[in-house]
Amino acid sequence: MLFKLLPVGGMVIAFQDYSAFLGIRGSEWVGLENFKRMLTDPYMLTLVKNTVILAVLSVVCVFPFLVIFSLFLNEVRFQKFKGTIQSVSFLPYFISSAVMVSIMYTVLSPTSGIVNNLIVKMGGESVNFMAKPEWFRPIYIFLQIWQMLGYNAVIYMAGIASINGELYEAAEVDGCGRWGKMIHVTLPGISTSVITMLIISIGNIFTVDTDRILLLYNASNAATSDVIQSYVYRIAFQSLGFPDYSYGTAVNIVKSLLAFILVIIANKLADKYAETRLF
Amino acid sequence: MTKKNIKTLPFDIINTTILTLVAIICVIPFLYVFFISISDGLYLSRGEVSFFPKGVNIEAWKEVITNPRFSIGTGFRNSLVYTLLGTAIAVTFTYLTAYVLTRPRIRFRYFIMTLFVITWVFEAGIIPQYIAYSSLGFIDNIWVMIIPGAINTQYLIITKAYLEGLPKELEEAAIVDGANDFTIVAKIFVPVTKPIIATIALFNAVSIWNQYLIPQMFLHNSNLKTIQQVLANVIVGATESPFANVMVNDVWLNQENMKAAAIMLAMLPIVCIYPFVQKYFKKGILIGSVKG
Repeated sequence: MLFKLLPVGGMVIAFQDYSAFLGIRGSEWVGLENFKRMLTDPYMLTLVKNTVILAVLSVVCVFPFLVIFSLFLNEVRFQKFKGTIQSVSFLPYFISSAVMVSIMYTVLSPTSGIVNNLIVKMGGESVNFMAKPEWFRPIYIFLQIWQMLGYNAVIYMAGIASINGELYEAAEVDGCGRWGKMIHVTLPGISTSVITMLIISIGNIFTVDTDRILLLYNASNAATSDVIQSYVYRIAFQSLGFPDYSYGTAVNIVKSLLAFILVIIANKLADKYAETRLF
Repeated sequence: MTKKNIKTLPFDIINTTILTLVAIICVIPFLYVFFISISDGLYLSRGEVSFFPKGVNIEAWKEVITNPRFSIGTGFRNSLVYTLLGTAIAVTFTYLTAYVLTRPRIRFRYFIMTLFVITWVFEAGIIPQYIAYSSLGFIDNIWVMIIPGAINTQYLIITKAYLEGLPKELEEAAIVDGANDFTIVAKIFVPVTKPIIATIALFNAVSIWNQYLIPQMFLHNSNLKTIQQVLANVIVGATESPFANVMVNDVWLNQENMKAAAIMLAMLPIVCIYPFVQKYFKKGILIGSVKG
């Protein structure tokens, strides 16, 4: 019986490895030509710059916000209220990027969106947010916070729940108020999960949000929104004539390298950070 | 105790206010879109719909679902089929693989697990993926939504961790009774592991329903497209929006009404099941994060 079950697993492995295998073979016939071409392509610089800025922003702006939200949520006294807030903030995590971006289009619509209605009522001029390069990053970051808020809260709240209650009592004896307890007990208590989440979020930047970027991307905001993924996607699926697969793959390899380097850096930093925390 | 409560009262008030605001910001966009979808287009075009619906009706919903020109009905049906079929297959495959990988009898099980982890960590990128899948005949084939994602390594790890936590005595008694693996799985494991089955089923269902890149890459036939693709086409590619302002059953429908109704439809199933199943989501995330 087991030998009937095993191929089921084996089949899927072969399947998933298959794409990775072709990737390796693909990069072989790419040769160095494509990489050379990339180095001389001035547009590559813009792409890499956009990708890195977006990556850094989505850690620097999003991450502290998520931790602070969880810390404050933990301080809420009424359990029912706490539960409601948690459920409400968790919902966007399960909604697709297509829906979230569509909602942004509706809310920010230059003709009928609520934001522009308010701007016009206050005497301003309506802004076509989706077509402005300078608005791409704020919108992206807002979506990131919006979708990740509840997810992170779940993880941090579980971390907070496992903190030894005696620590709080000790802090109270030492004269700590609620602020003090939050900063001296709760925050160190969840520092391991915070660091873990930080590493995961840095590692994931390049893989997870392709959907959102593709959906937010358009020709008018390309100056900031065109990142490596959207570029590769366009090469593969939207170019006229025969798509330049090998060049796209080469660009993609650079992306993977960048992601890998980021993960390594994050890991090093976490090591350092955790140590200074501990001692 | 009361003295302390009074001392921290300002903190409580400020904290509650801030969090309420955050929660409101989280929900308002959803509510706003919902209100637009049920409002009268006339008020909408005059900019009179902001925080409350005006001229409530469900014509936009009806129009969006029934009018074949928008292919939203088709998209919804397709997504539903992919999700149901995909979830059933994904749960079966993931569960059986996890079962096999937790049997001490199986040689190479660590090696097999490593292979799974490799597929998770290293991504080939969309172009090699596209080339590989097209050579397997996945272009315009609904199975592209179902087979490649059938065993997600993260969910496999979660399931494996859960199965490893079961007491060994459970199956030993059954083996003494002469039960084979199928009987053990069906009669003993499945009944006691219902929570983990629910968890991976929900995670798979949500991820299949929400897929955008995969169908966009492989499903070009408009009869096969998912609701997310259709939605992205009518709203994000707004230049050739199929919606026009029309009069239906004496109600003026603005194209924004119909867009809003389309958005609501694309998230409807998730919003409907969410209140009942969020505890499984929380549990799944926690197991996954501890292991990962």
